Amino acid sequence: MTDDEKSKHLCHRAGFGSSFLAEKKQMKNFFVKGGDVPIDVIAKPEPSKTAMGKMQFKEVFQKSRANLVKLNLSWMERLRNTNDPLREKMVLFWHNHFSCRTLIPYLAQQQNNILRKYALGSFADMLREVSKDPAMLQFLNNQQNRKGHPNENFAREVMELFTLGRGHYSENDIKEAARAFTGWGFNVKGEFQFREKQHDFEQKTFRGQTKNFEGDDILNAILEDKQTAKFLTRRIVNYLVAQEFSSDDIIDDLAGPFYKSGYDIGKLVSNILSSDLFYNSDFVGNRVKSPVDLMIGVQYHTASQFADPQSLIFFQRALGQLLFFPPNVGGWPKGKQWIDSSSLTFRMAMPQLIFHNQETEFQAKEDGDVNSLREKKTKRDFSLNVDWKNLAGHFKGSPENVVQRSEDYLLSRPTSEENRKVILKLTAGAKDDSDLVKRIFTGIMSLPEYQLC
Amino acid sequence: MERISRRKFVQRSALATAGTMMIPQFLKALENPFAEGDKILVVLQLSGGNDGLNTIIPFRNDIYFQSRPKIAVKPEKMLKVSDELGFNGALEKLRSIYDQGFMSVINNVGYPNPDRSHFRSMDIWQSASVKEYLNTGWIGRYLDANCNGAEHNAVEIDDSLSLALKGDAIKSMALKDPAKLYKATHHPMFKTMAENQPGAHADPMVSYLYKTAAETVSSAAYIYHQTKTYSTTSVYPNSDLGNRLKTIGTLINSGVNTRVYYAALSGFDTHVNQNGQQERLLTQYAEAVAALVQDLDTHRNLDRTMIMTFSEFGRRVSENASGGTDHGTANNVFIFGKKLKQAGFFNGTPDLKSLDEGDLIYQVDFRSIYATLIEKWLSADSSMILNEKFPLLNFV
Repeated sequence: MTDDEKSKHLCHRAGFGSSFLAEKKQMKNFFVKGGDVPIDVIAKPEPSKTAMGKMQFKEVFQKSRANLVKLNLSWMERLRNTNDPLREKMVLFWHNHFSCRTLIPYLAQQQNNILRKYALGSFADMLREVSKDPAMLQFLNNQQNRKGHPNENFAREVMELFTLGRGHYSENDIKEAARAFTGWGFNVKGEFQFREKQHDFEQKTFRGQTKNFEGDDILNAILEDKQTAKFLTRRIVNYLVAQEFSSDDIIDDLAGPFYKSGYDIGKLVSNILSSDLFYNSDFVGNRVKSPVDLMIGVQYHTASQFADPQSLIFFQRALGQLLFFPPNVGGWPKGKQWIDSSSLTFRMAMPQLIFHNQETEFQAKEDGDVNSLREKKTKRDFSLNVDWKNLAGHFKGSPENVVQRSEDYLLSRPTSEENRKVILKLTAGAKDDSDLVKRIFTGIMSLPEYQLC
Repeated sequence: MERISRRKFVQRSALATAGTMMIPQFLKALENPFAEGDKILVVLQLSGGNDGLNTIIPFRNDIYFQSRPKIAVKPEKMLKVSDELGFNGALEKLRSIYDQGFMSVINNVGYPNPDRSHFRSMDIWQSASVKEYLNTGWIGRYLDANCNGAEHNAVEIDDSLSLALKGDAIKSMALKDPAKLYKATHHPMFKTMAENQPGAHADPMVSYLYKTAAETVSSAAYIYHQTKTYSTTSVYPNSDLGNRLKTIGTLINSGVNTRVYYAALSGFDTHVNQNGQQERLLTQYAEAVAALVQDLDTHRNLDRTMIMTFSEFGRRVSENASGGTDHGTANNVFIFGKKLKQAGFFNGTPDLKSLDEGDLIYQVDFRSIYATLIEKWLSADSSMILNEKFPLLNFV
């Protein structure tokens, strides 16, 4: 691989693509200072003193729906405009790892900021905070986990999905851990609250050890197990390198230092991104972009934004990845699972919508809940405000030449000679340089290869 | 009216694209183990959690009226079909279908440790997995298990595909209108690109994308050509579900070799002022299903079609303070067909006395219904698809 190819691969996998149009988004360093500024668009709720009537309920629902849209779009804007794409790329990873839904916008924002704070920091600290995070406690029913009436949901997912992985704990471990987490709840202000009266202070036997386990002791015991480091390493390698990567040796090699560092995610990620494994050509250009990767990527590649930000809600719903609304605690589909005949058809037609403002009759699925997010149903404007003239300035030359250079710029893996000819045909009758580049970008971004990075 | 046989269609298409690399792809996509005349399953999903107790009403039960002083269905708005149970009046169009013995109602359907979240419960119904989070659905795994199938062997009438229809190897197909899909996929750029499949040495993921695109083009063409000369004389209601079921009727009656169809009707999350909204939706549902049953019967396809309706959960027994109901658990499932072994009520009425924190306790696991449909209707091995052996029921 040439240095340029390496740089492109890094920009795609550790960010959302390269963009020479916006210099600051070039990935010069892995770590940028100041990228962890919290998103702060939703105010902390004030507990109301009066009981709510029916009408007020409706208003509250409408307001929270509007706020969830606002929060979603704020994050989408952060993803597009950040100086620290690697951190945001990892926030996306953790958002899927600690998959969680809440209809309370402030709680959603609060959790997202925890993930941002530790995205490249200490996993141990992140786990401890997420485990006391109201959104998560609510989502996994820990408010109902009381002494004598345990609810095991939270304890189970902590081990199955967040740390050890299936097969590395017993059903009894779950029962006992659930007892240790009794009384972990939150108050109306969205703050963690330990409810002593609901807590089970008796002895518990967890992973062969009998003592007075508290919730934090359970988390510590889980972190002491090297399996947690291995499980996380594998998931991060799957995310950054290859979805179906399975060599135990390489995972162990990376997990060892991660464990020794006390779960320093930044070090692990840095080790992965500078390894030969990462630049192995077998793994270049064969990762399916998630819908969010794709929608942020088109903005990166063209240094542009959507004329109507609501379009981003439409595209997220149409393609099946609405931020803050993962399908379940297992998270979103991965890799190949994103692609079926309808999603691929839609992805391949997408450049027509965003560059040529074509309309579509496409309707995203209703998810059954009266309270969930939808885009406004007015006339839809999907256009991106691309400065084609400026863009054309970077791609001067014969049509063949512009096709070649655009392909290098947009695709991680070259397409076929036949498809290059198809794209070249599209340039016939181009009005000027801007139009030429626009037609070529439309063509290349409609290719199946553009779905990969 | 000319019906194009599959063979003829393949020949024509092959001629039309002769000389390109496309031919083997076409042949492959259309060659599959399913034969015309095979059994067909139609799955209708009521999204949002339909209130089963106001759909099939236990009108002899005092607890029903006590628990629902505001929203209990009044006797004059009810169609009494047995000594104990009545249909919501909005289901009037299903009355004659029921009377002819083409409908079976299974009460108290659910699963262990019910989840009251829409998303999770819908996930559970669609993936047919109660404990494990799966990224495939039961219909998708049915296609996987009957391998070498094409994506149009299962079709969802929508713009995007539900989890239920996603397999590992085969992902089914979503479409609302065969002509529009044909137009979109035969857009010159789309079609040529899809056909420019990279050679054998290409990365498997790249090949997978091109294979999906090419199969979409060929399946869209197959369905379009198969249906374009068929025009139904049956009348369907002009509603969203009516239009979707009309598409299903057209595909079945024109001999498209799809084994499973899927469509959804949404809006059943009736927390507030339930009755008007539920009646509107049930009316739309009953009218559309009645039209489909009629249409299939006219074309002698009702013999080979079974229709199943479910919702992700029922609602609580007691009404809430806003004239609605909140998320509950067990619910009823409807089966329509001409080959029912047990028409009418399959089992007893819901037990409103012994509840679990105000919710019905399920008696029939929904996976038993799936297993029955898979084994007895589609003649496949259910334990491979559902990862477990469930007792079969005798409604088929």
